[in-house]
Amino acid sequence: MDYQLSDEQKQIKEEVRRFAENEIAPVAQEYDVEEKFPHEVLETAAEMGLTGANIPMEYGGAGYNALETALIVEEMFAVDPGIALSITATTFGSDAIMEFGTEEQKERYLEPVAMGEAIMGAAISEPDTGSDVSSVSTTAEKDGDEWVLNGNKMWITNGSVGDFFVVMCKTDPDAEGRYNGFSQIVVESDRDGFKSEKITGKLGIRASDTAELIFDDLRVPEENLVGTRGMGFLQLMQFFDVTRTMVAAQGVGIAKGACDRALDYAKEREQFGKPIGDFQAIQHKLADIHTRTEAARQLTYKSAWSVDNSDDQLTTLASMAKEYASRVAVDAANECVQIHGGSGFVNDFDAERLYRDAKITQIYEGTTEIQKNIIARELLGKGF
Amino acid sequence: MKILVTVKEVAEAEDDFEIDGLDIDERYLEYDLNEWDDYAVEEAVTIAEDGDDVEVVSVTIGPERAEETVRMALAKGVDRAIRVWDDDLESADMLDVGTKADILAAVVEEEDPDLVFSGVQANDDGFGATGVALAEVVDMEWGAVVNDLDLDAEGGVAHVHRELEGGVEELTDIELPAVLTIQTGINEPRYASLRGIRQAQRKPLDVQGLGDLGLDASVLESAVSRTAMFEPESESDVTVFEGGAEEEAGQLADLLRDKGVVEG
Repeated sequence: MDYQLSDEQKQIKEEVRRFAENEIAPVAQEYDVEEKFPHEVLETAAEMGLTGANIPMEYGGAGYNALETALIVEEMFAVDPGIALSITATTFGSDAIMEFGTEEQKERYLEPVAMGEAIMGAAISEPDTGSDVSSVSTTAEKDGDEWVLNGNKMWITNGSVGDFFVVMCKTDPDAEGRYNGFSQIVVESDRDGFKSEKITGKLGIRASDTAELIFDDLRVPEENLVGTRGMGFLQLMQFFDVTRTMVAAQGVGIAKGACDRALDYAKEREQFGKPIGDFQAIQHKLADIHTRTEAARQLTYKSAWSVDNSDDQLTTLASMAKEYASRVAVDAANECVQIHGGSGFVNDFDAERLYRDAKITQIYEGTTEIQKNIIARELLGKGF
Repeated sequence: MKILVTVKEVAEAEDDFEIDGLDIDERYLEYDLNEWDDYAVEEAVTIAEDGDDVEVVSVTIGPERAEETVRMALAKGVDRAIRVWDDDLESADMLDVGTKADILAAVVEEEDPDLVFSGVQANDDGFGATGVALAEVVDMEWGAVVNDLDLDAEGGVAHVHRELEGGVEELTDIELPAVLTIQTGINEPRYASLRGIRQAQRKPLDVQGLGDLGLDASVLESAVSRTAMFEPESESDVTVFEGGAEEEAGQLADLLRDKGVVEG
């Protein structure tokens, strides 16, 4: 056992935090209020290599593994989840290309994303397809040497700003078995038949772009297929454990952000002639959220470590980490607002924004309920 | 061409701190790269990126803890680093400007750089003299408080702007080899990139003791000693103006005149 981060990991944390404090914090409220995608911040982030943290060195990234990537996610989400997601999500869908893509696909798609010249996304959910991924109804039919896509994708991160998307679609409707017959196909947003509509009015992570995608007889060349035809769902499933671990890291980051701000405010704000942090009621809140945040962090780090070191325990840990860290994020943000009192109810302070931002971590990348199903299923030894 | 950048890990005290003997209590200190040195590193790395065959070496005098700071310079593009430390340095009460200049001079002898960059000053002890003292010891030309640098490497001349008081700049040509003390604002220091941080772990970082540099403990003898450290009482005074906007403006004007902020 080694509970110390390495010097390199500490340096990553420190420099990412410095970036976030200098470049994200001053503009976080503005992008949140205006529901505006932070292109300008993204540019600086790309210079630092934050858009390609987990992309291999040979394609212009830093080639960091799951634990380092989790540290980066945590530090940025502690400052502002909306802009942090905009930065970390530029590589959504890239894991499929890294694992199953051809050399040509890797060069074409990974390099520009790592350099910050392109934004990508993963398109899975549909208006009627949320937690039940196997009910995807977007189709891709083979016509000569092209795929023709039709259907709608919903809640797609980067939907109206992305350059290409790894789209989950049904290519072989007659395939036997619930999880067969799906394929992952890359769709560029400048193709004819591609339309996106930005979704506004989100509760939180409002800087991050979310959109509905509409494919209307959209044609892409056959080489845009990622991996094996008909195996898309099984390919996708391989990454759930990683992506869930990253959402757990988001939760840890938000919780950390809430803890730090709650502690600072408790030391500063005076009532009845002394800082409110001198009152035991506030002290217990602080003790509780800091303790639970540390617990969530250790669970998340263990899950991230398992991505690279211990596959057999990963699925359970990833769901445990995702469920627990997202719950701690929501609870810590809630207590942070409570400690801020009236000031926590308006957006002069970050507490209000973190409170709104925290909730999504219990919803996306598999809801809390789905995570508990998975944990129970793994415990009871039942198949999926 | 070779550029040597002297960097220092400085101590920063928290807002509320306590003094323990001759120093600030360790509990209230955090360590970071000296702000001025960050600009010096950036200046050197930019020259290396824009030029052919430029090696950037950074040197620091400091304990093992300082390696974190030095690694950050490596992550930003410095090629290799030297850290000078040993038991004699560890047990020294304080390192004065003369001592540091002598130690750095030994490194300069060894490395034989064309240019040495140091920050104008360190934001902990603030002597503001190490760079120019080093130039004196190694008998190099020097320019202090440089806020603009146009290097003519072939001609062996640095065209610099030196920041003087009152918004005045002096334009000077300095022949190489030279020591330049770099002012903040000369450039915009980059963030260490993730790739850079990764690559920095494999860059050479040599630790050298006084003996390795041909020095001994006598270099630590100093005519300067710290005798006390105290925090001056801070005074504050509040004046509340009352009345209409015009009246208040008048009162403010009187006050400013009174304090000598404006004339007339």
